Order: sequence, then structure tokens, then C-alpha cells
Amino acid sequence: MSSLTRALVAEVRARRGAADPMPPRIALPPVVAPPARVYVARRPPLTPGAASEHTTALLGIGHVGTRYATDVVLQFQAELAVAHEAVAAELTDGWAKDHGFLPLQTRVADHREYLLRPDLGRRLAPESLARLQAQAAKGVDVQVILADGLSALACMQAGPALYEATVAALRARGLTVGAPVCAKFARVWLEDEIGAEVGAKVAIILLGERPGLGTGDGLSAYLVHGPALGKTDGDRNMMSNLHARGTPADEAAPRLAALAHAMIQQGVSGVGLDLAKVDAVIERGYRAPQVRQRLVERGGAR
Amino acid sequence: MSLLEPIVPTLLSVRRIPNADPALLAAYGADPTRHTSLGLVTCDQDDALYVALDEATKHAAVDVVFAKSFYAGSAHASGKLSGEILGVLAAAEPQSIEDGLAALTACLAHDACFYDADGARGVTVFPHVIGSLGHYLAKESGLAVGECLAYLVAPPLEATLGFDAALKAADVRAVKIVAPPTETNFACAWLTGHRRGDLAACRAAAAAFIDAVVDVALRPHAR
Repeated sequence: MSSLTRALVAEVRARRGAADPMPPRIALPPVVAPPARVYVARRPPLTPGAASEHTTALLGIGHVGTRYATDVVLQFQAELAVAHEAVAAELTDGWAKDHGFLPLQTRVADHREYLLRPDLGRRLAPESLARLQAQAAKGVDVQVILADGLSALACMQAGPALYEATVAALRARGLTVGAPVCAKFARVWLEDEIGAEVGAKVAIILLGERPGLGTGDGLSAYLVHGPALGKTDGDRNMMSNLHARGTPADEAAPRLAALAHAMIQQGVSGVGLDLAKVDAVIERGYRAPQVRQRLVERGGAR
Repeated sequence: MSLLEPIVPTLLSVRRIPNADPALLAAYGADPTRHTSLGLVTCDQDDALYVALDEATKHAAVDVVFAKSFYAGSAHASGKLSGEILGVLAAAEPQSIEDGLAALTACLAHDACFYDADGARGVTVFPHVIGSLGHYLAKESGLAVGECLAYLVAPPLEATLGFDAALKAADVRAVKIVAPPTETNFACAWLTGHRRGDLAACRAAAAAFIDAVVDVALRPHAR
């Protein structure tokens, strides 16, 4: 339908200068001038919040604008470097023998293969198996194994102390303990083969745990009753974070001994173990807040 | 919103009475001997509907028997369907009503409407040009069917200056000038050419009217 009036009005609009003139200007609020520094470093958030007083997790680390503060980033990078270094470390040749352990090695040939082939890290190399069969005591109650795991640094730094403390706690309970052995390139399940070879009732492997931020020195302990190839993780009990800022060796050793003792008494480990019947050396009292170890100095004005 | 943007009218309600009671027909100005069916519409723009009702009489055998604006316009309506006008078409049979309503609806959608005279819908203008009158507005204006008409509406002061400009800008004469206030508080003028069927004069008058109304809307205190 053609419209005389629409055409006329369109003509008038065009004559007035624009067929579609701009809408009237909208009144805008005055724009505040930006501050001299847009992202002023706000100091109060940088001081740790209440939660961060009780954990080493990255809580209450504050921010500068949309980003972390520089010292937080540097600390993060330093802690990541610690973790990388721990994973990359290898148990040095002769360390086991020098510290009184029977040296064993898995079927892994080198560190790269160790990271890529967990299955090889669960079985002993033939010569190590022969050495174990020839030199280790058989028919013991508990076989304790020290191993490098994913942090050879932790093994070499804190391993001997935890081993000695654990053995002492086991002996205090009247349990017989196998020969001291130290395995290189070892995974947790290696305890199955070693424990089965020596005929131990319970096998305990103490090994460096997968490093987290800033914790390259942590050990874990895995316990299994009736060690044999084919045991699963459901058959195991474990304690982690065995280091100075977690559970120190003098606290961990009595608990490990109590766990091993309970396994022998109940004849089972893992999911089937009744933890309520573990004679309680486990105190759940006050635990001091963890303190984050500063790896970089905080610079600049406070 | 921009200057002289069309403000398309809304048909708020459209109902039919196929066979109306003779008393009702008489009361609304229809002739019970000729009319049986009614079509009733309400709209939010009265002048657009007057034009659309006239358009209907050009396309169907219908008569506009009733068309009245409501007081103070659609912003102060008696209900959400009232708008500012009730129009009633009457015909001898329902199909004529349907044809008339179709022409009326098309006219409202594409032709007759108010326009934004200040870019903010604070002032509106109705500068309608009818090329050929139907028999409804012909009877209302006293002109012959088929003549042309400039149907000019605006708020009181704007319209007054607009009428003056329109009458001076082209070879037109005033058929009727309704000084404010009308029912809806606007002012209205019907102009036609001095020479019969002078559509160009009606267009020129309407264009001058638009310019004058927009000028007042944008510069209300200009000397």
C-alpha cells in the first residue's frame, strides 16, 4: 500500500538534512579522572588472612589489580621449582650401602623410563631379586622397605630417620623386622614382591611422595598385609605427608607400628581393616598451624 | 526515536456484530432498514482512525455510522482497550464488514499515523494527505467524493502556527478549522485546493505544516 503522507514526510525529513537524524544527546554522568596509578597495590590483602594462618595452601594471598602480587608469583615459581627438582632427583649410587641398607633396583633402567613406565617400577630386577633372596631374613613379621619413589631427595634426607624410628617402634611391640633394604626407581607396589619373597606378614614401604608446591621432602608409608603380587590399593593402608610440617617421624613411627600390629592381629589390611581396633597412639589433639616457608624474600616498601 | 519517525497506531480492539439489534443500530446512527451488521474498533490515535474509517468506505459497501473521540486522549482512557476513539462500521451483511475492516487495518498499518515532531515524542503531528476522499469524510467535510484533502492535526499552539503556514504556503483554502481544545485537546484543520483536485497544493500545505510544527517543537520560545 503506497502512502501519500509517508512519502511526503520522508521528503520533509530529507529536506531537513537527514533522513535519519541522530537521536538527542543523552546526558551522561561526569567521568571521574583516573587515579595516577590505576592498580594501586593494596597492602592489607597481601597480609595473610585468618584462614592462611592455619594452612600452607594458597589462601589470603591478596591481589594487585587483577593479578597476583609479584612476591606471590615468585614464591609460587620457587615452590614449583622445588617440586620439579625433587622429581628430577635420583638416588645416588652407593647411598643405600653407605647408610646400611641392602641396595635393590627395579626393572627400570633410567630415570626417564621410571617416570614413563610405572609397571617396571613395581618389579625387582633379576640381580636384585637374587641379592634379596640370598641376604634378607625370611619369615619376619614386618618387612620395612625404604625407597626413592617420586622424591629421592625426601628419601635421602628424611628416609633413614623415619626408617629407624619405625623399626624401633615395631620392635618395641615385640615384632620381628626384616633386613634393611633400599630400592631405587621404586613404585608402591614393589612392596608386594619384596614382602612375598621374604615371607613377611606385613610389608611397609616408606617412599618419597609426589611433590606438591614447596613439599619436595615428604614421605609416604604404604602398608599391606600378606604381601603378594596382585594386591590392590584396596588392600593397603597409608600415611602421607610424613615431613616436618606434616606428621614428623617421631609421631608417624608409633602409628605405623600400631597399624602393622593391628593388621597382624586382624589378619587383614586395607578396606577390611577395622581402624577402631587399632590401639590408639593416634592423638587428635591441637596441632600447631603450619607455616609457609618463604623461599623468596619479600621486596619493596611495606 | 528520531525526528518525524512514524508512530504506528494500535488497534486496541476489533469486534463484529453480524446481526445487531435494530434498537442498537438506531442508537449508533445506523439505518435498521439498510444495515444489519456492525464492525467496532478502538484505536489509540483518533485522527488516524477517522482516516482509516474513510478508507474502508472506499473498499467496501460500508458506512461509518459512529466515530467519536474520547476526552483527553488515549493517555487518559477509561480502560486499556478504549484508546481515544470508538469507530463503528455498518453494512448490510457481515462480509462487507470484513472487507471494510481489512482496508481499515491496512490503512492504519501503512498510511495514517502521527509522526514524532521533536525526536522525543513530546510533540506529535498528523499531517495527513488524502488523495481521494471516501464518502464518510466527504460528507463530514462537505466536499465531493474523490476530492483531495490535507488533514492536519497538532497540539494547540503548534497547530495554530502550522495552519497559518500551510494556508500561506500553497493555493489551498480552509474547509474547516477546529480551534483547540478538541476532545483530545489537539487542534485540527481540513484544507483543500482552491482548484478542484489540486493534490500538489494539499501536499505543499502539509509540508509547510510539518515544518512549522517541528520548528515550534524544537524552538518553543523563538522570536
